Amino acid sequence: MKKHLLKILALGLVGSMAFAATGPDTYVQMTYGEVDSLDPAQAYDTASGAILENIYETLYTYKGESITEYEPVLATDYSISDDGKTYTFKLRRDVLFHSGNRMTCRDVEYSIERLLVTNPGDSAGWFYAESLIGYDGVNAKDYFGDGASQADLDKYWQAIDDSVQCVDDYTVQFHLIKKDPSFFVKLMYTASSILDSKYAIENGEWSGTKADWYDWAGKDLREGFLHNHDAGTGAFKLVKWAGKDVIAERFIGYWDYANKPQMKTVIIKVVDEQATRIQALKAGDADRITVNDRATLETQIRGMANAKVLESDKWLGAAASAVFFNQKIAAQDNPMIGSGQLDGNGIPADFFTDVNVRKAFAYSFDQDAIIQDVYLGKAVPLTMALPPSFLGYDPNIPIYNVDPDKAEEYFKKAYGGKLWETGFTMTIAYNSGNTTRQTVAEILKQNIEALNPKFKINVKAMPWPQFLAAYKNGQLPALVLGWGADYADPDNFIYVFYHSNGYFAKKVGYANPEMDKLIEEARSITDPAKRAALYSKVGRLAYEDVPVLPLPRPTGWMVLAKNVYTKGAPAGMDVYNNPMRSGSFLWKDIIKK
Amino acid sequence: MLNYIIRRALQIPLVLFVLSLIIVGLMQLLSPQQRAAAFITSDKQIEHLDQIIEKYHLDEGFIVQYKLWAKEVLHGNLGFSRISKEPVTATVRKKLPASTELALSAFIPIVLMGIWLGTLAATHRDGLLDQVLRVVAIIGWSLPTFVVAIWLVAWVYGGLGWFGIGRLPNSLLIDLATGNFHPHTGMFTIDGILNGRLDVTWAALVRLVLPATALVIVVSAGIMRVMRSSMLDELGKDYVRTARAKGLPEGRVVYKHARRNALIPVITMAGPMLGRMIGGIVVIELIFNFPGLGEWAAKAALQLDMNTLLAFVLLIGLIMATVNLLVDIAYVVVDPRIRYE
Repeated sequence: MKKHLLKILALGLVGSMAFAATGPDTYVQMTYGEVDSLDPAQAYDTASGAILENIYETLYTYKGESITEYEPVLATDYSISDDGKTYTFKLRRDVLFHSGNRMTCRDVEYSIERLLVTNPGDSAGWFYAESLIGYDGVNAKDYFGDGASQADLDKYWQAIDDSVQCVDDYTVQFHLIKKDPSFFVKLMYTASSILDSKYAIENGEWSGTKADWYDWAGKDLREGFLHNHDAGTGAFKLVKWAGKDVIAERFIGYWDYANKPQMKTVIIKVVDEQATRIQALKAGDADRITVNDRATLETQIRGMANAKVLESDKWLGAAASAVFFNQKIAAQDNPMIGSGQLDGNGIPADFFTDVNVRKAFAYSFDQDAIIQDVYLGKAVPLTMALPPSFLGYDPNIPIYNVDPDKAEEYFKKAYGGKLWETGFTMTIAYNSGNTTRQTVAEILKQNIEALNPKFKINVKAMPWPQFLAAYKNGQLPALVLGWGADYADPDNFIYVFYHSNGYFAKKVGYANPEMDKLIEEARSITDPAKRAALYSKVGRLAYEDVPVLPLPRPTGWMVLAKNVYTKGAPAGMDVYNNPMRSGSFLWKDIIKK
Repeated sequence: MLNYIIRRALQIPLVLFVLSLIIVGLMQLLSPQQRAAAFITSDKQIEHLDQIIEKYHLDEGFIVQYKLWAKEVLHGNLGFSRISKEPVTATVRKKLPASTELALSAFIPIVLMGIWLGTLAATHRDGLLDQVLRVVAIIGWSLPTFVVAIWLVAWVYGGLGWFGIGRLPNSLLIDLATGNFHPHTGMFTIDGILNGRLDVTWAALVRLVLPATALVIVVSAGIMRVMRSSMLDELGKDYVRTARAKGLPEGRVVYKHARRNALIPVITMAGPMLGRMIGGIVVIELIFNFPGLGEWAAKAALQLDMNTLLAFVLLIGLIMATVNLLVDIAYVVVDPRIRYE
């Protein structure tokens, strides 16, 4: 009898579990990387963005796969004043928040002002502040430090208060401090999601008034109510997020319920171990999983019975990286430049200011080897440091590739021929574990050392903290840096990589007045065609001047269960993939066949 | 006895205090730059080293750092966990029951099997059974945990589609998040019963099978070996010979007399093992996607999240101290000759 019972128990255990696929109206995604915060004003990472873009909405958004075409969401229409400094949006009248409150202009004003008031240092608030109030894009506490007078603070608050105004209940106006062609797309980023102001204030968030604004300046919003509560209008509402998995369900009161999402429930699970994610897909417990590397994709996923791999050489993401040449290397106590002289045993601190050196390096850079070694053949070389899907990317600009004769020619020209005679020694460092940085360094070493026995490049692995410190102190002669888009405007990349005041360019001391002029002109006009022409000029000038060497971009992929599709997929594809969406597509567009 | 327990309990705060000093002290061995670097994950933040150091007071000395933390703790605030993005106490409330549930579901079979097989091996000393068990034990002992775990996940779960990973199936996760299910204990097996939801208890049990099996395979061997040698010791003692000479049946000699005494080393070993299983089964938690304390703490260690690490170490310290106290009490139960004054 006892044995019998055990048998029944065992059979039951096993039987109850055999291959349960996720339900037809449930979507389960398994990924790694935890959500940082569900407060739109705090979150600045893709894991959080992938949730926020579904539970919150913005005034306008990207249309399908495009990042240059837009469609209204919470707004119905907009106009820009002739001076380009006032944006007026008409709001949709029938929008309910998940709480049941009705959306009005007051909520839009609250949401954007809250961004400007709080603007914590590790959030996206800076680029809204830059457009709307200035103050170097930082919050009042960080801007003034301890030395703020009451008058300073009043002025700062006034700037915030003036920047967003309600004309009536369903008309909102933004007043920019200067013309900014990126402002409109900035409003599509999740940080500018529209929050339920009433619900937020009732639950202890900023009151929306001057009374307590300074208390909220620079505050870490992860400790606030909206960090793990949802005050959105999205097609899905948050059911639960407690530090790890996110559960959301279809929102019955959604304004666009005519286009009702097919999925009733969505679960985003954090499963750190890749092998486990793969087995879950195989067992039918997941509809989409994150696969980190192409090797695993090819060996373990392809050919799996109930899974499909989607990819396209157009899926290049909204990111770019490049090799930077440091034109003002810190000379003091810097072992990476050896003697610090052009004597064969080192390089001078301004080694890379000679364009011939940069060109010689460019002609020693083997794009094909990078594509093969780092991306297993699946990558596309870039003509400039801008994602190809962005306005202004010019595919017709030539690309540097390895050419020993040209490299030799430019090395011989450099420093009036002295460099070729004396040779040089330098170190290219990478942080341990970063294979891209490592491969780039090794390829440069191999090709350059082969040109002249007096050329010596040491490749050095450094632990991350040391690498960061060396970067901060300006000691690295050459290094790879990457940038992911904050908003879909070319300025977000071009300024960072090429302008003398850009985040990366400034650090490596690149300054070309002609380049600066082009970039500044492009950020001061709104006509897309004119801007595209200017960015094309930037690309061409960058080809001549070689401030950086853009790296090839790997083509992306998605791993889904066989029956998962989306609405609005381009012809011949199962799903659409918008590089500005953290989750590639929205949950409301998911279809299971 | 009561006196002893009180005295032991009073030692606990001291232990915790010293543990917290050690952790804060160890952190200080890394430079502020090294600690700040753990916060930086993308090139966009590559310049933020100084701001991070300032924000988290990383350049302050040991005393200041300790005071900053201790002041909050005395107000009942263990701080915010960078790893789990919520207050440390909220995470502990969820993960401690999960870890305990998993640890117990493995611990009970491990101990019972260890004792049973250890006894068998000892009573069949050098016989075929003993030899076989010895080989099995060595194999179990030598298998790396992650190999067993991956094998179970790939073959049993992924291949055959049996059991499952995580704590509950997706359908129940949704159900519990939306319905009125009260997490009284945080252990789904027990909460299921308390809420009259036997389907939850059943599903939770099903999902404990694979991780618990992995633990049983890897850990049982130790207990078995200890039980075997301890049992052999006892069986060779005078009182056993006396009992046999008195004509007591062999079963009574072995199970009533010798085994009871042979349990002491097993208890000594099993107590701390339970404590460690609650806090340290990182690999199992990771591979079976079981959201427990070990994985949380391991991530915290890699990212130098001081609040999380301190809370974890204090919690484990507390568990270990409690377990040790229980072990001491268990000695008295097993062997009435033991007295604490």
